[in-house]
Amino acid sequence: MNSSKDKIPLRALLFRLGTLALVLALAAVWLLPVVAWAAGGGKPATKIFNVADTRAIEPGVSKWIADIYNSSLWLYGGLVVVMMAGMGFVLGYGMDRLVRLSGINLGKLDHHE
Amino acid sequence: MDIFNVYLPIAGLKFNVLLLLLIGTTVGVCGGFFGIGGAWIVTPALNIFGFPMPYAIGTDLAHMGGKSIVSTMRHSKFGNVDVRLAVSMIIGTTVGMELGAKLVMYLEQLGMAESVIRKIYVVFLLAIGSYVLYDYLSHVRRQKISESKKEETVTYGTTLAQRLQRINLPPMIEFKTSRIRCSLWLPVLVGLVTGVVASVLGVGGGFIRMPALIYLVGCPTLVAVGTDLFEVMITGAYGAFTYGVKGRVDLLAAMWMLIGAAIGAQLGTVAVKYVRGYAIRLLFAVTIFIACASVLMKQLELQLASSVLILTAGIVISLVIITLLVRGVIQERRAVKNGNNLSL
Repeated sequence: MNSSKDKIPLRALLFRLGTLALVLALAAVWLLPVVAWAAGGGKPATKIFNVADTRAIEPGVSKWIADIYNSSLWLYGGLVVVMMAGMGFVLGYGMDRLVRLSGINLGKLDHHE
Repeated sequence: MDIFNVYLPIAGLKFNVLLLLLIGTTVGVCGGFFGIGGAWIVTPALNIFGFPMPYAIGTDLAHMGGKSIVSTMRHSKFGNVDVRLAVSMIIGTTVGMELGAKLVMYLEQLGMAESVIRKIYVVFLLAIGSYVLYDYLSHVRRQKISESKKEETVTYGTTLAQRLQRINLPPMIEFKTSRIRCSLWLPVLVGLVTGVVASVLGVGGGFIRMPALIYLVGCPTLVAVGTDLFEVMITGAYGAFTYGVKGRVDLLAAMWMLIGAAIGAQLGTVAVKYVRGYAIRLLFAVTIFIACASVLMKQLELQLASSVLILTAGIVISLVIITLLVRGVIQERRAVKNGNNLSL
C-alpha cells in the first residue's frame, strides 16, 4: 500500500476545514433564531437592556429625558426624584393659589369627627 | 384622538395623554381625601392599557412622591399634619419594611410567597374594612341614642387607642397636632407593624397606616389622613429613586400623571373640609371592600375584570368626593350669605 496516495495536501485540508466552518456558521445564523423562536413560543420580547430608542424622537423634553436615561441610570434616578419633587412643589403652590382665587376659605380646620 | 398620543421612550410605547391625566386626577382625588398613595388604582390601570408591570409600579411610585407633596402642603396648611408623629413612625416603618422584605424572601424559599401574600392581603382588607364599617355604624347608633335622649354627649367607654396611650414606657412624648400624649414606642411600634405588613403585601401601606393612626395611636381622622400623606411622600420619593436607578420609571408618563394628580389632590384635600371624620371613614371602608373584591378576582385569575373594576371604582369614588366638595362649597356660600357658619 502506498500511504502517500491517501495523504491529503495541506491546502486541500485547509479548504475543507474552511468550507465546514462556513457551513456551520451559516447553519448557526439560520438555526439560532429558530431555536430562540421555539423557546419563546412566539411571545413578544421583553426589554433586556435599559436603552430608550431615541431614533424616532424629535429634539425636545422627551429626547432629553431619553438621552439622560441612556447615558446614566444613576443620573436618571436623581432626575426622577428632582423632577417629581420640583413639579410637586410648583403645582402644589399653583393649585393652592387657584383654589384661593375661587374664594374658598382655606384656614385651619377643626378636627371634628 | 391621535394628536393626544405621545411616544413614551422609556416604556417604549405610545400612550394617550388624556388617559394619563384621567388616571392621575382619579388617584389624586382619592389620595388627598383618604391619605393614601393609591398604587392599587394606578398600577392595574397602567398595566391594562399596555404598560409592562415593572414600569407601571415604578411610574406610579414616582408620581406618588410628587402628588403627596401637593396633598401634604394643603393638609399642612389645614393643620392636619403631625410632623413629629410622622417622623416617629418613619423610624418604625423603615425597619418594618426591611423585616417584611426578609419575610417575603423566606416565603419565596418555601415556594409559597404568592399564595400566602394574596391570602394575607384579602384577610387584612376584610378585617380593616369590616372594623371601620362597624365603627361607623356604632357611631351612628350612638348619635341616634344621644339625640333621642337629648343629651349633649354620650359616654363611649375606653377605646383601644386610649388604653395604649396610658402605657407609661419612657420617653413619653406629646404630639400637639394630634392632641395626644403617649410613649414614643407606640408610634414606632405601629410604624414597625404597618411597615412589615406593607412590605409583605408589596404596597405603600397608606390604607393600613391611616386606620392604624386612628384606632391604635388615637389621632383625629383628618390628622391621620395628613400625617399618613407625609409618610407616603417620603416612601414615594425613595421608591421613585430606587425604581429610577433600575430604569423602570417612565418619567414622561409620570409628569403627565402628576399634572392630573395635582388637580385631583387639591380637590380631594379641600373636600375633607366639608366632610366629617366619620363620613371619610365610611367611604374608606367602601373603598377597602372594592379593593378586596379586586384582589379576590385576581385570585380567580380574572385579571382584566379585576383591573377594570378597580379603575371604574376609583373614578366613581372620585366623583362622589368631588360632589361632596361642590355641595359643601355651595352650602358654605349660602351660610356666609345668611351670616352663619355651617358644617356638614
